[in-house]
Amino acid sequence: MRRTLAEQFIHYFTPKKRIAIFMVAPTMLVLLLFAIYPLIFMFGNSFRAWQLTSVLPPKFVWFKTFGTLFSYGRYWNAFANTLILLAIGILVQSVLGLGIAMLLNRQFHGKRILTGLFLVPVMIVPVVSGTIWRLMLNSEFGPFNYLLGITVHWLGVTKAASMTAILMMDTWQWTPFVAMVLLAGLSAIPREVYEAADVDSASGWHVFTRVTLPLLRPIFGLVVLLRTIFIFRIYEPVSILTAGGPGSATESLSLLTYRTGFQFWNIGLSSAMSVIQVIFMILVAYLFLKFVVTGGRTRHA
Amino acid sequence: MHSQGRTRSIHDRIRRAKRRKLISHYSQNVLVILVVLVFLSPVMWIVTGSFKTRVEFYSTPPVFLPHQASTATGTNYARALEVGGKGFIDSIIVAGFATVLTILLAVPASYAIARYRIGAQHIPFFILSILFLPPVVGILPLFMLLKTLHLIDTHLGLILAYMFFNLPLAVWLTKGFFEDLPEDLESAALVDGYSRFRAFLKIAVPLVVPGIAVAGLFTFIFSWNELAYASIMTRSSVETLPIALTNLMGGHGIQWGALCALATLAAVPGILLSLFMQKYLIRGLSFGAIRG
Repeated sequence: MRRTLAEQFIHYFTPKKRIAIFMVAPTMLVLLLFAIYPLIFMFGNSFRAWQLTSVLPPKFVWFKTFGTLFSYGRYWNAFANTLILLAIGILVQSVLGLGIAMLLNRQFHGKRILTGLFLVPVMIVPVVSGTIWRLMLNSEFGPFNYLLGITVHWLGVTKAASMTAILMMDTWQWTPFVAMVLLAGLSAIPREVYEAADVDSASGWHVFTRVTLPLLRPIFGLVVLLRTIFIFRIYEPVSILTAGGPGSATESLSLLTYRTGFQFWNIGLSSAMSVIQVIFMILVAYLFLKFVVTGGRTRHA
Repeated sequence: MHSQGRTRSIHDRIRRAKRRKLISHYSQNVLVILVVLVFLSPVMWIVTGSFKTRVEFYSTPPVFLPHQASTATGTNYARALEVGGKGFIDSIIVAGFATVLTILLAVPASYAIARYRIGAQHIPFFILSILFLPPVVGILPLFMLLKTLHLIDTHLGLILAYMFFNLPLAVWLTKGFFEDLPEDLESAALVDGYSRFRAFLKIAVPLVVPGIAVAGLFTFIFSWNELAYASIMTRSSVETLPIALTNLMGGHGIQWGALCALATLAAVPGILLSLFMQKYLIRGLSFGAIRG
């Protein structure tokens, strides 16, 4: 007796496997269906010279677009800017976020309201946030300079001031997210651990560096990884605040990729940028998950 | 005599330690309030902006207390509702359904990943890697895909697109919660004759409701705020709030008062949702989302 292919397929898996496949399949189908076109599009076009404004049809050029990219100064500038935003942004936001999370991780009146209010920046539609920040940082009638009693041209005059402005807005937008996730991590630390430290009459700083930080490591790693992913997608603060200016000095990778594709209509080059970014992110995420998030702790069975 | 003196000094020390603790407690409260105020100041600029006339946005020194609030407020909010009224309905439909569908797909998937280790680490890594794609990469292919499905300028098209964006984060958030859940309860249910699926639905899911609330809240906010895809996948029959907001920025310069009014109104559903979910949110985040 020969089984049909479907029967063979079903009997190949244990019941446990079958239910697992049944549960994960819809998500995988949706992701594959929607990701497959962009993936083919991205990889396929990164090997083609394809200028939408040109009458010439797309031409297969092997790795030539990557070569072009390699000697494209504006690209490396955008890459460097993204890494600067990444380094300073994540450093500032994790220190601030951790501090705020620790302040919120106590019992006090109005805790729920304050935590809720702290999340409000996330609720503002980013395109409006950007526009309002541009208004607030305006050097003539903006309240920011007025309240601080300074006269700084924040936007589009010098690179340093423009980058600072982008970082300020990004920090305002994302610190609540960082703080919320770290707050979760903090409240997951069992109270007994602190009580034990209290009995040993360890100093506050000692408890923080020897107890809190090590226990917070996996979630700290996860939040840094998520922020890394999101900073590579940063758009509104750059495009609305400085539009990448002065010139293209503060352009981020995502803004340049967008412009290359949808303003200069160079699909080939834009795709090559995306490919490099994806490969870079895969490497970073792999190292992160291996060494920071799961490293140093044993996975439970 | 001698022992009495020592008792007093111990009491003294305890009292001083208590006072120090109290002072530190209150100074930390003050610090929290200051931090929240700093973070809320741009939000306050938007809210007070909705009470201002156009001129007041461009005056030096900046106007902190609007002078003509009584007339300006009405004008601003009327204009906001005129431009964004339909946007509210469209946004609620799109973000609402996207959130429900995302959760319906993400929860069983993350359970299968966490509990049955389906696909070892490869499937979760693939799911996370969707987030590595620059958003630009998706625009043209997704547009063509929706076009072949005749879903351009429909609610369903945008709902599917947002489901695709938010699934990875939702799976990763809920996955952590299931991983932190002890297996014993479900094993006991299996012994009692529950099917595996029923054990998942009746035992595991109710215990991770907090995690589901967290994933749902973020999915809702991200769908609610999304602009780039909405502006390309829709034309006139669907117009979400971010698009309505950009309509107040184009043409004859920015209509500041109405923009601030609509932005204020647009933030309300998210704030209400987060307050409603607070009791789950803090407890929820603390359960999971930790494990890689």
